[in-house]
Amino acid sequence: MRSTPLWTAEAARPAWTREALADLRAAASAFRLGLTGAFAAWPALVGRVAFYAVCLMVLGAFWSKVGAARLPGTLAARLPASGLAPYIGVTEWIVISTVAVQLRFEDEVRSGVLEARLLRPRSWALLLIAEAAGGTAARMIAIAPAALALLLVADVWPGVEAVVRTVLLAIGGVVLALLAYALVGLSAFWVRRVLPAALIVQKLMFLLGGLFAPISLYRGWLHTLAVASPFAGQLGFPGQAILGMSWADFARALAAQVAWTIVLAAIVALVCRAGVAKTLREGAS
Amino acid sequence: MKLAVTVKDLRKTYRQPRRRTGAFGGLRGLLQPEYTELAAVAGVSFDIRAGERVAIIGPNGAGKSTTLKMLSGVLEPTGGAADVLGFTPCRERRALAYRIGVVFGQRSQLWPELPARDSFALLQRIYDQPDELFGRRLGELSERFGVAGLLDQPPGRMSLGQRMRCEIVGSLLHGPALLFLDEPTIGLDVTAKAAIRDFIREQSAREGQTVVLTSHDARDIELVCERVIVINAGRIVLDEATEGLRRRFLARKLVTVRSVAPELTVEMTGVTRRPSEPHTTVLEVDTARARVEAVVAAALAHGGIDDVSVEDPPMEEVVHEIYASLDG
Repeated sequence: MRSTPLWTAEAARPAWTREALADLRAAASAFRLGLTGAFAAWPALVGRVAFYAVCLMVLGAFWSKVGAARLPGTLAARLPASGLAPYIGVTEWIVISTVAVQLRFEDEVRSGVLEARLLRPRSWALLLIAEAAGGTAARMIAIAPAALALLLVADVWPGVEAVVRTVLLAIGGVVLALLAYALVGLSAFWVRRVLPAALIVQKLMFLLGGLFAPISLYRGWLHTLAVASPFAGQLGFPGQAILGMSWADFARALAAQVAWTIVLAAIVALVCRAGVAKTLREGAS
Repeated sequence: MKLAVTVKDLRKTYRQPRRRTGAFGGLRGLLQPEYTELAAVAGVSFDIRAGERVAIIGPNGAGKSTTLKMLSGVLEPTGGAADVLGFTPCRERRALAYRIGVVFGQRSQLWPELPARDSFALLQRIYDQPDELFGRRLGELSERFGVAGLLDQPPGRMSLGQRMRCEIVGSLLHGPALLFLDEPTIGLDVTAKAAIRDFIREQSAREGQTVVLTSHDARDIELVCERVIVINAGRIVLDEATEGLRRRFLARKLVTVRSVAPELTVEMTGVTRRPSEPHTTVLEVDTARARVEAVVAAALAHGGIDDVSVEDPPMEEVVHEIYASLDG
């Protein structure tokens, strides 16, 4: 039997190109598996859609009351006329869709399953993130009709262009969120339990990402910090896109997302390498 | 003689942080860490021929899993050298991964909620297998292991035996030359265990695959492997053919007599009667003190004998005997 069979047409390619292509194909397959798995567990998806609708009704009602007051000198005075329901619809869409991949990392590191995964010729972290991305995509697809329906029912339809920009930035947002959660999950190599780190990242995501209110409402150092952080790319920019965003702002937001994706992916790769090296040296558990 | 595995003076010492007691023990441990060293494998050397089926056994904590991990490349040795199929496992883990298959009896590599076929499709991409070759292998292996009708079922809804057969198929899909099996029959019923053992033995014989197996079930060792390596306290204490081990280690035979009478008594030096059911008498013969034919003759002399069989003691007893001698 052949030991390292490769596609015939690729035989002439350099080894690193073949490996990179093989990594991509494996990641695509893991993505498909995550997508199929999430759809197979459809009752959980239905529950998530219901949860999304409840969140949106509660938070939408809250902000419409605050907005109606229009108190001078407060954030409420600067709220968009259409209210914040569309904005929260987008940020909650991203948050509720993102698979908690940090728990998978923690589980595999702590249970020792990691050792079995390291016996494979592909990157363990890449496959886990790809599978989580597949699950996230399934959730986004399932929740999307509810989000669109709510926009129509609330009579705040922003137009097709805004929706397209929002969807593109939301995809970038979940990629950033998955990488941030992966980083949290990889901390299990050293701290075993990732919950404290996950809570810190979630709170930063809520505040600096602008889960409940656009970061454009912030002033001073908080605004500067939020815009410069990767969390703005996760939630703030996609949310802002539904409220109205020029193509120039959209390009800037997209560039920020790409830059942070590269930075976070590099950090994930380095931390994963260090964690795997630790496991190879000390054993899994 | 082509060698699949060569191990020379392989060693692994774990360095573990010492936990301190008291309210501030954790903090003191962080500021001034202290370590204890544990020699899990203290210098083992052996060769495994290509196509050979070898069991590595030993009591819990003996170092057998650590040895297997070092051979498969997921644990760096502290010293010594290992060569597996021409690769140095700790340095060439990814390249070696294409050539080995691994089954963990207690850890699944299949997704429980998705059809086995979907898990296999991911394994195809992970091992970079061309469609045609992969399809042919999946067809052959699923027929051979009797899982062709199960491919569209999620492993979560299969019996343990069916799931384990799927696990083994999954580990063979990339055509490995060496198969590591860690407790492959754990938790299975008698029939499923027998089926798995037959499949592994036949697969190895047909494809010439080398098999390295760890198990606490003596029947796995007896029915699958032709050689046993016993490890204790990180060292090899025995390394010989399964059959020879059984003969050398236990100079005993079991004579089972089925009789019309509910009970049979054979009073001879070196013969003890084991607990048995009515009409069946199991006599343990110490061959150093009594001759088997004399025992059989004494039993036949009672008359009314339906059947007599002479067997070696089961491997389980051999293993118990070996472990007991290690304790002593």
